[in-house]
Amino acid sequence: MAPADRTGGDETGTVDAGALGRRSFLRLTGAAGASLLFSAAAGAPSTQALTGVAGQASVARKRRAYVLVVDGARPDELGTALTPHLRALRDAGRNFPAARSLPVMETIPNHVMMMTGVRPDRSGVPANAVYDRSEQTIRDLDRPSDLRFPTVIERLNRKGFTTGTVLSKEYLFGIFGTRATYRWEPAPIVPVSGHAPDAFTMDAALSMVEELDPNLVFVNLGDCDRMGHSDLTGTTLQAARTAALVDVDTQVGRFVDMLKTSGRWRDSVVIVLADHSMDWSDPHQIISLQPALDADPMLAGNVVVAQNGGADLLSWTGPADRRAPALRRMRDIALATDGVLSVHEPAQLRLGDNAGDLVVYCRSGWRFSDPAPYSNPIPGNHGHPATQPIPFFVSGGHRLVRQGTSSAAARTVDVAPTVGTLFGLGDPRGGYDGTSRL
Amino acid sequence: MTSIELDRRTLLTTGAAATGAVALGVALPDEAEAAANRYFKHGVASGDPHPTSVILWTRLTPTPKATPGSGRGPRATVRWQVAEDRRFRRVVAQGRFTTSAARDHTVKLEARGLRPRTTYFYRFLYEGVASRIGRTRTAPAAHATPANLRFGVVSCSNLPAGYFSAYRHLARCNDLDAVLHLGDYLYEYGAGSYGDVRQPVPAHEMVSLSDYRRRHAQYKQDQDLQLLHARNPFIVTWDDHEVTNDAWAEGAENHDPETEGDYLARRRRAHRAYDEWMPVRMGSEVALGDGTRLFRRLRFGRLAELSMLDLRTYRDQQASYPVADGTVSDPERTITGAAQMRWLKDSLRQERAQWKLVGNSVMIAPVVFPPLPNDLSRKVNDFTGLLPEDGAPYNVDQWDGYTADRHEVLGHLADHGVQNTVFLTGDIHSAWACDVPLDAGTYPLERGRSVATEFVCTSVTSDNLNDITGTAPARSSIPVEAAIQANNRHVKYLNFDDHGFSVLDVTAARTQMDYYVISERTDPNATVSWAASWATDADTQAVRPVDAPVRER
Repeated sequence: MAPADRTGGDETGTVDAGALGRRSFLRLTGAAGASLLFSAAAGAPSTQALTGVAGQASVARKRRAYVLVVDGARPDELGTALTPHLRALRDAGRNFPAARSLPVMETIPNHVMMMTGVRPDRSGVPANAVYDRSEQTIRDLDRPSDLRFPTVIERLNRKGFTTGTVLSKEYLFGIFGTRATYRWEPAPIVPVSGHAPDAFTMDAALSMVEELDPNLVFVNLGDCDRMGHSDLTGTTLQAARTAALVDVDTQVGRFVDMLKTSGRWRDSVVIVLADHSMDWSDPHQIISLQPALDADPMLAGNVVVAQNGGADLLSWTGPADRRAPALRRMRDIALATDGVLSVHEPAQLRLGDNAGDLVVYCRSGWRFSDPAPYSNPIPGNHGHPATQPIPFFVSGGHRLVRQGTSSAAARTVDVAPTVGTLFGLGDPRGGYDGTSRL
Repeated sequence: MTSIELDRRTLLTTGAAATGAVALGVALPDEAEAAANRYFKHGVASGDPHPTSVILWTRLTPTPKATPGSGRGPRATVRWQVAEDRRFRRVVAQGRFTTSAARDHTVKLEARGLRPRTTYFYRFLYEGVASRIGRTRTAPAAHATPANLRFGVVSCSNLPAGYFSAYRHLARCNDLDAVLHLGDYLYEYGAGSYGDVRQPVPAHEMVSLSDYRRRHAQYKQDQDLQLLHARNPFIVTWDDHEVTNDAWAEGAENHDPETEGDYLARRRRAHRAYDEWMPVRMGSEVALGDGTRLFRRLRFGRLAELSMLDLRTYRDQQASYPVADGTVSDPERTITGAAQMRWLKDSLRQERAQWKLVGNSVMIAPVVFPPLPNDLSRKVNDFTGLLPEDGAPYNVDQWDGYTADRHEVLGHLADHGVQNTVFLTGDIHSAWACDVPLDAGTYPLERGRSVATEFVCTSVTSDNLNDITGTAPARSSIPVEAAIQANNRHVKYLNFDDHGFSVLDVTAARTQMDYYVISERTDPNATVSWAASWATDADTQAVRPVDAPVRER
């Protein structure tokens, strides 16, 4: 199908979208005929202006970077016979089998690290859920203002490049907000999981590239992660996970095919990675720290737990002059609890002030469920060190892409410097915490 | 693998001639070999390569009466040289070392100031006579990302049981970074106790310091072992026979306090002789007597880090047969000791290098055995100790006898998301390739998933199944191997029949173990052939067969 055939081209006008600020909406038609809604920065080139370019037999030469995040994938899952497209893409580029996610091994902080190139003590985003002291509540870090460091998205925009985000999860769409030139608003959203299925996400990514053609597109494919999370019985976990892997491989295959058939491949760097991997806990291996902390006379009512699956962030809310002994007691109680692996001060993990006073990790096969034992019913979790290994490879047809396998320790925080290298961006103020993998 | 002939006479000739006989007062070539034999009868060796240093070793015989273990002979000073070329035109490090009867006239020093991942040549000089020339290689720089690493892997070399043809053939590999010897480098037994192809020296079991020194000296005079030492740095650990059979922290199966005295005193003697005669660090420095800590790390850039274990010095006594209670799982019992366990866990958790290689003297993958006819079980037990006759599923001398420690290590790998751990193992005179499951009972499901792999090399000469049964190779082993694999799904490859060596090749994409076997251990001219290859792809924690060995790089 020629790109022009599935372009609605009907810009719907400029509206006031509240938190997202002034923006224009672009309604495109995806491969399946569904309508896709994009928002665009005010003044960004519209699809009508771009359609003529996209419709040509060969696209204009320009640098292109695509970051495809297979949310929650384990490194051994993307190189098998089940995932031939991903394997071929990996083998065409440079693989980093020693790659790891960074604390806390959750979705939002690692996507932020990818796009900023800095650790949470600089970005302000240490976990999915934190205790917000000013609001005195536990909340997701899903607001654009939570992210305090310039992303490579904004920095590219300032240099005259265009950018796009195709993020399947609502909270990712939330925190990255209007930063990109073009943003897909994830839909349809699966109830409970809060994400859009990969087929829809990829439809959006394809349309965005073909019709709007940003220099950088940041894509989150959420099915693998959500298939890990959402099976409450565990009985169909393996089958569902396998199905998700096969499907994400198909979606990535579509994307690569589009790059090649449209002539974009030779100009493209395609980075495929996960934000974290996944660990499955047994039904009886659940840790609830909140009741244990509340049962202690010194701590009762003065500790808040922000639960992040495999990591609990503990915040002391009592008097400041009792903080030091209270933290010692919190640490002792946590370490005495079955299934707890370790306790850390946030600074040890470079998490910054938002992470509370102590970070508690669980062991493999366990999960946190706070504040109550029924709060987290899902078996697939991450956030703890067991979920650090991730797939990470840099592929594409661009001349800077090298082939082979590297023992270098790639990290999620390496994505921004890698993208920066392609586009000739200088380092951000204070430098990157990551390393270019080009 | 292709062969090289680093001819010893050629090296001595060119080395001596090129160095300049006048300047160094070196003997003329024709005289050199005989003189070297007079002063340096036990060859040269190197070991424990670091990026900028390596240990050099030899043993000087300053006078004919200064025989190993004799306690006789004068103090004497040798010179040593390290050069970039085999003609010693570009000497980059040199010095003097004084030895004496107090250390059995052994020479062991650390050559420093070298360049990373560089091949060097070294020699010793005494009274104007040069030793044979050794070749060694430093490790890659700490942050280097070498394309590959290659190690020879050997274990269980019992001299009376046969000839060290495996060493000779391994010495022909021209591309090794080092040779890993995973234990049982020498055996303690007296004549006729464990092999009669060659006679041990002394003829009785080694017990005294003199005994241990003489036995080391005998092994170091084996021409095949000398050749392998001269061509590659060794990285060694001991198993039990370096002291005595089935050793543990305070005793051993083959030690009788009534007739052989205090065990710990015997062990101190054995360790002292080992420290004198092996090119190994046993402490923070290379100095003799600076410690007996053999567990240590060797780093090979970002590609691999090798943790060498000592599983004999700190372990609790083995459980007794039949295993009728929970002794093997008692969390109070240990195979590593607390300090080594902390150290190992720290080694594995570090993200310094992609591959976590563990030099492991006894097998860690669980082996649960099926019922076999007792007659066959006993014969398998003769060399593996794996099959309790009453069906209790453990070899209590390996990690199966210390399951709490195994759970501690494997759980640690799972808890910290440690990928790419490969155990390299000796001890049981047979070749294996295994996944290492978190729980063998539920492997390969998620809860029992593999968290590491293990490659076990076969013995250089020590008995395996057909040696014991007296049957043709494979006649006894086929049903045993089939039964083991049927009951241990994580065991993917088994060879109970052959002797030989292995070559481990490490790249960022995979580790590959090539298994080579010799034709006949009693034949001093035995030939070699490739038997099998197995690999672990990065991030898979699983072994897979490979259809060809690696080629020389």
